[in-house]
Amino acid sequence: MENNTKKHEGDLHETQHISSYKQHFSTLVALLLLTVVTVAISVFGANLRTLSVATALLIATVKVIVVAYYFMHLKYDHKLYTWLIMIVGLLFVVFTALTSIEYFNR
Amino acid sequence: MATLSTDLNYLQAKKGLFSWIFSVDHKRIGLLYLYSLMTFFLVGVTLGILMRLELLNPGKDLVEAKTYNQIFTLHGVIMIFLFIIPSIPAVFGNFFLPIMLGTDDVSFPRLNLLSWWIYIIGAIMALSTLLFGDGPADTGWTFYAPYSVKTGTNVTMSVLAAFVLGFSSILTGLNFIVTIHRLKTPGMTFLKMPLFAWALYATSWIQLLATPIIGITLMMIVAERFFGVGLFDPSIGGDPILYQHLFWIYSHPAVYIMALPAFGIISELLPTFSQRTIFGYKAIAFSSLAIAFVGYFIWGHHMFTSGMSGTGRFIFSILTFLVAIPTAIKVFNWVATLYKGSINVQTPLLYALAFIFQFMIGGFTGLVLGALATDIHLHDTYFVVGHFHYVMFGGTGFAFFGALHYWFPKMWGKMYNATVANIAFVILFIGFNTLYFPMLIAGLMGMPRRYYDYLPEFHLPNMISTFGSWILATGLLLMLGNLIYAYFNSKTKPGRNPWGGITLEWQTQSPPPVQNFDRMPVLPKDGPYDFEHKPTIKE
Amino acid sequence: MEHASGFVLPNSGHNRDAEASKMGMWLFLFTEILLFGGLFIVYMVYRMINSEAFLLSSFELNVTMGTINTVVLLVSSMTIAMSITAIQKGNTRLSVNLLFLTLAAALIFMIIKYFEWSAKIHHGLFPGMEYYENLPKGEGLFFYLYFFMTGLHALHIIIGAIIIAVVIYRTKKGLITPERYTLTENAGLYWHLVDLIWIYLFPLFYLIH
Repeated sequence: MENNTKKHEGDLHETQHISSYKQHFSTLVALLLLTVVTVAISVFGANLRTLSVATALLIATVKVIVVAYYFMHLKYDHKLYTWLIMIVGLLFVVFTALTSIEYFNR
Repeated sequence: MATLSTDLNYLQAKKGLFSWIFSVDHKRIGLLYLYSLMTFFLVGVTLGILMRLELLNPGKDLVEAKTYNQIFTLHGVIMIFLFIIPSIPAVFGNFFLPIMLGTDDVSFPRLNLLSWWIYIIGAIMALSTLLFGDGPADTGWTFYAPYSVKTGTNVTMSVLAAFVLGFSSILTGLNFIVTIHRLKTPGMTFLKMPLFAWALYATSWIQLLATPIIGITLMMIVAERFFGVGLFDPSIGGDPILYQHLFWIYSHPAVYIMALPAFGIISELLPTFSQRTIFGYKAIAFSSLAIAFVGYFIWGHHMFTSGMSGTGRFIFSILTFLVAIPTAIKVFNWVATLYKGSINVQTPLLYALAFIFQFMIGGFTGLVLGALATDIHLHDTYFVVGHFHYVMFGGTGFAFFGALHYWFPKMWGKMYNATVANIAFVILFIGFNTLYFPMLIAGLMGMPRRYYDYLPEFHLPNMISTFGSWILATGLLLMLGNLIYAYFNSKTKPGRNPWGGITLEWQTQSPPPVQNFDRMPVLPKDGPYDFEHKPTIKE
Repeated sequence: MEHASGFVLPNSGHNRDAEASKMGMWLFLFTEILLFGGLFIVYMVYRMINSEAFLLSSFELNVTMGTINTVVLLVSSMTIAMSITAIQKGNTRLSVNLLFLTLAAALIFMIIKYFEWSAKIHHGLFPGMEYYENLPKGEGLFFYLYFFMTGLHALHIIIGAIIIAVVIYRTKKGLITPERYTLTENAGLYWHLVDLIWIYLFPLFYLIH
């Protein structure tokens, strides 16, 4: 099997990193804590209004980064993936920004 | 030499229909795309000629208003989704990307075959609208809400077809990106890749990242037709302009899906036929990425008269002008490449020069439309029709034909009659400009698009335009006839490198063997267009 | 890929390339992100235009059920991540068991979703129903988007569950081994994406308050 896999110069696959069970569990705990925070802010901080939307989205983004970084293994992958994801994220942010600028100024 | 069976080229290796339609060989898949694309292209051309016939004289000549609306919609859907978007990437990208990178296939050969099958299913769905119910959609290829939600014609099927075709486009793009990252031959880095590969790389990213947005937008139209809620209906809090935003978030980048591969083709043709290195390799390579990136943010210029906010229009107009910069960089570099080259005037070069000329007209008229003040006057006139045909057909279409003439000897190992090909080119060039230039003038005079009828004062440009369509059709038939004749009857063996090209596909046999190379391809010393250190190619 | 003259290309598209599969999967995930991205843009614009109506409608949604589903999905994300660790460490049985746990989580998610949806439909909030048609301006859009987006998300849960079932089957057949587990990894990536989308859907629909 081994000699069938390709060899590249600058191969993206240097050494396969194995995440530990413990690390996965800690990641889950962190995510659950963030969920508790976001629900609490929404239920008990109802008078924050627009601020609560911003915090909700901020916390969601933090959660997404945690999932991508640890569960999806980005931390140990080639940096290329992180760059690509950031570009895709940027693209979507600009889409929403341009659209909302348009609507805000109607 | 060893046994015969392994020395057969890719055309001979296996026989029978199934060995083609279930082939995972990227070269055969490229040809499958070519044959199916050209079939749909001819259907689209026929519809176009029908429209021109209707417009020969004012008043109703041939078809009813509604039929005319259906014809131009189907013409648009076929030409855009079935021809131009897949054209260069699916045919020449599939065939030559792996060879130019020095490998034997794309990264996911079976996925590649699946893309073609999905494309065919989408095509059948699109054409099936002719056969049942109230006929093809009459909304225009943009399917604008709310009309697309209300009309009785087969919008649902057309929209689903576009969705399926989009999926095929996504898979091709995905395949190319991974191939470029993973399968470059040892020694080839990103900056030693041929510019066609760079163009395909940028295109693939647009295919990948823009197409899903139209997918979901079209699904909303389908859901709307099913539930009839009025998602884009202002009376319940919706906004019809939002549909246009979503549609153009995809469809503007899609313009670059159509144009960027053509830029790649021109960047291959010019160095070969002037026998010198391309001027500004990096500038051309990175401007492709720049166009792809900026191209995402200028969709609003299709909607200047829709009732969008003034701020929005202003921003989109400025961003639109930005995209002219990388495009102009390319044109300057192409022209500079020809300077002091030893120019060899062959049919593919003629197509490349026609491309530059026509694409420049398309580009400049684009600037006129990108400016807010002039767009108010010209929006939805024949000026727009002339503009995008200059870009799409005069640009991408001509690049496609140029590529076909350039790689014809490599793909089939035969040579066409160059004189006939040149005559066909001249007829095509004259026909094209006679057909579309009067449209620009009619548009400036104020003739609106998408009507089967017009006021008498627009008669002259329309008549000239219709004559042009006949010349164009003659040129097309002569060009295709010449190639088909050569395919069946040519005895000329072009050898490995008929044009003196330098990219890797010229180092292998014509037609290539199944595994693309019969010996290790040699990279030129300094970059892909280093004609001074051109590797010698033995037959 | 050997030629008659004995020549072999160093790079071939027909070789097994785990990195290429992973890259392909990531690229596919990008398309999924933008697929939902289009819907999020619709949501954003309509919420901007009808902010009061969206606020009022969101009270119809059950925060407890939404929170439970969030937790269920987060736990399932962990189990599938652990399943990859297990197969990497050579523990095939544990890997399969963890995948079964992930499947169970998918099932729980769908059951809760079913109860949520049927409660809404019971109240006549589904597009086309009489009560829905008479909702004030903007509220109909909220529920339309709610059904469209959570429905599309649920479809992804189902597809993800099918993929996980395939991974279980192939692991049991010995086709996925500690040396060759790309499919498990890709299934994991897909499942995490389903989780990621829910992470945004949850506050945007349930937590407007």
